[in-house]
Amino acid sequence: MRGKKIGDYALDSVIYICLTLMGLATLLPFANVLSKSISEEWAIVAGKVGIIPVGFQLDTMRFVVTSSQFLHALFISALVAVIGTLASLLVTAMTAYPLSKRELPGTGALIVLFIFTMMFNGGIIPNYLLIRQLDLINNLGSLILPALVSVFNMLVVKSYFESLPPSLEESAKLEGARNYTILFRIILPLSGPVLATIGLFYAVYYWNDYFNPMLYINSSSLKPLQLYLQDIVMNADTSSALSADDLMNVPAEGVRSATVIASTIPILLVYPFLQKYFIKGVLIGSVKG
Amino acid sequence: MSKAEMTIQARPAAAAKTGGRRWKLVRGNLDMYALLLPGLVFLLLFKYTPMYGILIAFQDFNIFAGIKGSEWVGLEQFRKLIHSDEFLQVLFNTLLISLYKIVILFPIPIVLALFLNEVRRMFFKRTIQTIIYLPHFLSWVIISGLFINILSPSGGLVNEVIRSLGGQPVSFLTENDWFRSVVVFTAGWKEIGWNAIVFIAAIAGIDQEQYEAAAIDGAGRIRQMISISLPGMLPTIMLMFILRIGSLLEAGTEQILTMYNPLVYDSGDVIGTFVYRMGLGQQDYSFSTAVGLFNSAVGFLLIVIGNMLSRKFLQRSIW
Repeated sequence: MRGKKIGDYALDSVIYICLTLMGLATLLPFANVLSKSISEEWAIVAGKVGIIPVGFQLDTMRFVVTSSQFLHALFISALVAVIGTLASLLVTAMTAYPLSKRELPGTGALIVLFIFTMMFNGGIIPNYLLIRQLDLINNLGSLILPALVSVFNMLVVKSYFESLPPSLEESAKLEGARNYTILFRIILPLSGPVLATIGLFYAVYYWNDYFNPMLYINSSSLKPLQLYLQDIVMNADTSSALSADDLMNVPAEGVRSATVIASTIPILLVYPFLQKYFIKGVLIGSVKG
Repeated sequence: MSKAEMTIQARPAAAAKTGGRRWKLVRGNLDMYALLLPGLVFLLLFKYTPMYGILIAFQDFNIFAGIKGSEWVGLEQFRKLIHSDEFLQVLFNTLLISLYKIVILFPIPIVLALFLNEVRRMFFKRTIQTIIYLPHFLSWVIISGLFINILSPSGGLVNEVIRSLGGQPVSFLTENDWFRSVVVFTAGWKEIGWNAIVFIAAIAGIDQEQYEAAAIDGAGRIRQMISISLPGMLPTIMLMFILRIGSLLEAGTEQILTMYNPLVYDSGDVIGTFVYRMGLGQQDYSFSTAVGLFNSAVGFLLIVIGNMLSRKFLQRSIW
């Protein structure tokens, strides 16, 4: 009996220590970069900033979040995320509803066509040439339209619709309601949780998307946040992203750190919702396979 | 007539023949097909049109002449591909980074899930979960920004520690000896916590009576982890593994694009980034489409094989 207790104690120690270390390892880069963004310039240059700020100033942060380029990029990202998410939700639901009716002729074949695109795609270059042909280069539509329907999300919504009791629709049918009325008036109001989940999937996708903007956007007035951030992070010389009189006395390293932190904040603000709904979503996905 | 069919028909159908019944279903539900229209246009335009565009892999594509006006060269691009040392290096890098990611990063979330399952202090458990899930939601640009910062040879945290211990600073992101390790480590840092979720759910689905019975038989907690939790997770582990193998050739294109630079092309250039550089950088559209087709075809094959294995061993289809 005693030996077992000691064993349990040792096991608990190992588990708690491992998990704590993992948590700290996750926080460490944030702590370091946050410290840099609020430390004094001389301390950053001298490499003295660890996880605790040396000195304290908010000038760098203020400079970053009030810079017109940053705010503009933030606006573009928000615009794409909001419009993209709404459009995606609408088209995803409109596609999933008919496909959830197995007896409707043609749905089986269509589902196969959709699923096939999860396994095989044209690849980067044919996609790029298509966007070019459609004259969508340097058009925010290029960030939304190619991602309008995620087949995975559509299948999640479809299986949710299939799980609703048919009696919901029957009485409306008997009163002569059309299918689209049933979808928008009866089905969608009952689909709050699943729409919230995949809405967040879409929103995070649009917000974090870096690949499509990099391919399709080169006009600086249309750059979303991720592209702007990449310019700042990758260019050792920050001046290319900031105009000359903006620069004044702001340290490049501090600006880069503060830009990374400022770009993280929008996600942090919605993180409680993300955690709640994403876990649901990921489990729906894995259960349905 | 089943209940489901009742719901779909606008008017009750009296037709006896199935052909007539199908036609009635179509005619009675024309608005259903109207609802499908936007999704269908999307599917054909943005998913299937690029597949047609793959034809340029068999051409010497001229962007001004288009697919119809460009010269057909058969398998010439593929001949070029297998004789290209650069491509072979890229393929090698892709497989190596992918294998590192699988061998090192696949098992950790499983252990993590087992560990989290043993934690009885709910506050501690929730706090740790909240922290380790967070990086999943951040873009690669932000993650790369964080790590470029702390790995920087001039004033980065890691190198300051190395220096204070008397070592020489290492330029992690510009040295071929280090770049792959950084790629694997940062991928783990971002996704390990998140990837544990399906395994945590799998453990939660195990019948609690098994644990109680084992405890009565005198099995300790370690014994229970190994003999109950782990076998209980096995179907999920196998399914996740099959899915993971399906994306073997995706070594992390977006991640590497946000981290690499010409100094580490030798070790860090993977298929995705190579296609991007060849296609959009050097505008060798046909060659890079051929590389892309190779990528898609192998990916497709791996998923089909994976599904066959899944059907055979798990009695369930991936899709």
